[in-house]
Amino acid sequence: MIRFDSVSKEYAGRAAVSGFSMSIAPGERVVLVGPSGCGKTTVLRLLAGLTVPTAGRIFIGDRKVSGPGTLIVPPEERNLGFVFQDLALWPHMSVRGNLEFGLKARGTCREERERRIREMLSLVELEHRAGARPGELSGGEQQRVALARALIQRPATLLMDEPLSNLDPELSLRLRADILRLQRDLGFTLLYVTHNREEALALDGKCVSLVWPLFQKKGAIPG
Amino acid sequence: MNARTILLASAALALAGIGLAPVLVILARSILFEGPAGLSYYQRMWESHRVWTLLGHSAAVSGLTTLLTLAAGLPLGILLGRSDLPLRRVLTALFTIPLLVPPYILAVLWFHILGRQGLAAAWYFGLPGCVLVLWSVFLPVVVLLVMILLKTVNPRLEEAARLTTGWPGVLRGVSIPLIFPGVLLAALLVFLLSFGEFGVPMYLRYGVFPVEAFTQFSAFLDFGAAAAATLPLVMVTFGALALERVFLRDRTYILRPIAAVGGPAEIALGKARWWVFGLAGMLCLVSVVLPFAALLGSVSPASIREALARAGDSLLRSLWYAAAGATLLAVLGFLLGYLIHNRALRFWRSVDSIAVFLFALPSTVIGIGLVAMWNHPATGFVYGTPLILLFGYLAQYAALTSRITVSALAQIPRALEEAAEVAGASWLRRMGSIVTPLAWRGIAGGWMVAYIFCLRDTGISMMVYPPGHDTLPVRIFTLMANGSSELIAALCLLMCAASLVPLLVGGALLLWTRPA
Repeated sequence: MIRFDSVSKEYAGRAAVSGFSMSIAPGERVVLVGPSGCGKTTVLRLLAGLTVPTAGRIFIGDRKVSGPGTLIVPPEERNLGFVFQDLALWPHMSVRGNLEFGLKARGTCREERERRIREMLSLVELEHRAGARPGELSGGEQQRVALARALIQRPATLLMDEPLSNLDPELSLRLRADILRLQRDLGFTLLYVTHNREEALALDGKCVSLVWPLFQKKGAIPG
Repeated sequence: MNARTILLASAALALAGIGLAPVLVILARSILFEGPAGLSYYQRMWESHRVWTLLGHSAAVSGLTTLLTLAAGLPLGILLGRSDLPLRRVLTALFTIPLLVPPYILAVLWFHILGRQGLAAAWYFGLPGCVLVLWSVFLPVVVLLVMILLKTVNPRLEEAARLTTGWPGVLRGVSIPLIFPGVLLAALLVFLLSFGEFGVPMYLRYGVFPVEAFTQFSAFLDFGAAAAATLPLVMVTFGALALERVFLRDRTYILRPIAAVGGPAEIALGKARWWVFGLAGMLCLVSVVLPFAALLGSVSPASIREALARAGDSLLRSLWYAAAGATLLAVLGFLLGYLIHNRALRFWRSVDSIAVFLFALPSTVIGIGLVAMWNHPATGFVYGTPLILLFGYLAQYAALTSRITVSALAQIPRALEEAAEVAGASWLRRMGSIVTPLAWRGIAGGWMVAYIFCLRDTGISMMVYPPGHDTLPVRIFTLMANGSSELIAALCLLMCAASLVPLLVGGALLLWTRPA
């Protein structure tokens, strides 16, 4: 269970998120929807531990991970995957290097690393691109590498920040289906951010609008 | 041809005429116009053991200085640029001070600390002393470049790594590899700057190639030998920059930060914060505070009065020439920077390469080249006046203002100038009403950097100053031979004040006018 308890975040005196509360059950699919600048990305960053709340508390399971102005559990110990809006693929590493970095950092043995990389590349259908650098990949391939990099750690929760916003509609449709398939197969909790209402509806999860943080209703998006 | 092309091409020609031509003239004269003697200088030089000794010394000084500045500068740049180390700004400012004064002043300050007698003094005069002084002078080059480079890393790349590992892993796996080509460039710059430095080795009586060129030229008045001695310096500079172009250019990642929530994260040092602060503070104390405190301790009101009496005119001249040089450099740098940033002429890349080559070239080479080119009865209006000094400044330091202009222009969306163009504004009007007002902070910053470099210049000034026009660094250098240590300390203090006071005032003005 993930829980935001009256969380607020200010940047230079301006509120990015104000009194936000929400609970997410394990394996649930939640879509945060709202216009640009309403604080959707901030919610993801708060949960990932990349920024600390100005007020309120955040829990992962029974463990308090962030309090007002305090990072209690660092990002690497939260067991989360994150697909950033600009993907943030490391340009100096190959696809394999991007996938392997986190495994190495966590001390995974060589055989296990090889096995997981093979498995993940096959899952996102990129076996033939393992040696390529991110700059040599198409937009769709880059998107799938970012997804694979986030999932190879077998996170309990996957955070996705407008992952399909820069893709053409056809590719976007195909990748969305891939994401849903992977979530069904692997069973992780999904917290997905988008400003696109159609995309939010197509994901068929609990929709949370950040236009008015108090208005949170399953399966409905305020107009 | 329109005004834009004429002005930009004129700026490029001015750089080539003022900077590159003297270097070509000196090389051509040493080979072609001195008859067989010209080539014999080279033959004599390469056959002697001395040339290899000098090359070995130069390589040892610059190699060791580069390694040590890199070893200290990289971690220090990360700590000062990205961590929550206490008093980061104060430490950054303190570490930068040695870069602002002529390097040989630092050598004098260390001499004041170590004294004339004993093991330390014996150790100081030679390779260790040269490396110690040049290390403290060029450390800020690496520190500041690492700080700037880290700011260009997209914070999301580090955050993506933060989800799986702590900061040491992020720095090792992501941040440092991403900025590494830039760090190598900083190392190359330190190597070339220390390779071309002659004031410090000369003061510490350690024979290196730039000292050889200077001695042949000014002590023995042997132009051919001096010209021949510049060739290895030109070759090393050219070779190092060629290596950079071939191996580093395509390895530099484009890492502009994206506009998104939150800037780069601060590295929390946790419990180690005060220990690390203690270490950084100690380093600062030894390399900066100690020598400058020793300087203050050696100065009395009487010695300052004497210094002003004996070198007050040189001080005033230095201030004027530095201000004039910086103003000309700001104009030339703006035009060259605009040319390079907009790729406005086909040969924009060559212009950038020439400017960088001249900056990296030892000042003795440019100095001898300027003399070779302008020392004629017909060109006395240049050679016999401060114009020759300004030419030297323009030749050596154009890369500073052009590169700073390029950075300033990169912050301005091109559409702003294009909108004015569509509205019918001429190029000059666009420059005056749109580009210059938007880039003025960068131009002002460039002016200040150029001012400091002109003011601290010793190499070019020493070689080309016309009679009665010596600058303060030159006057100090000449007085060092027979002046008392109190007088020299007072002169060094005046030099530091002349560098730091305008910088502090200008910096405060820039901060005061910083947009919210």
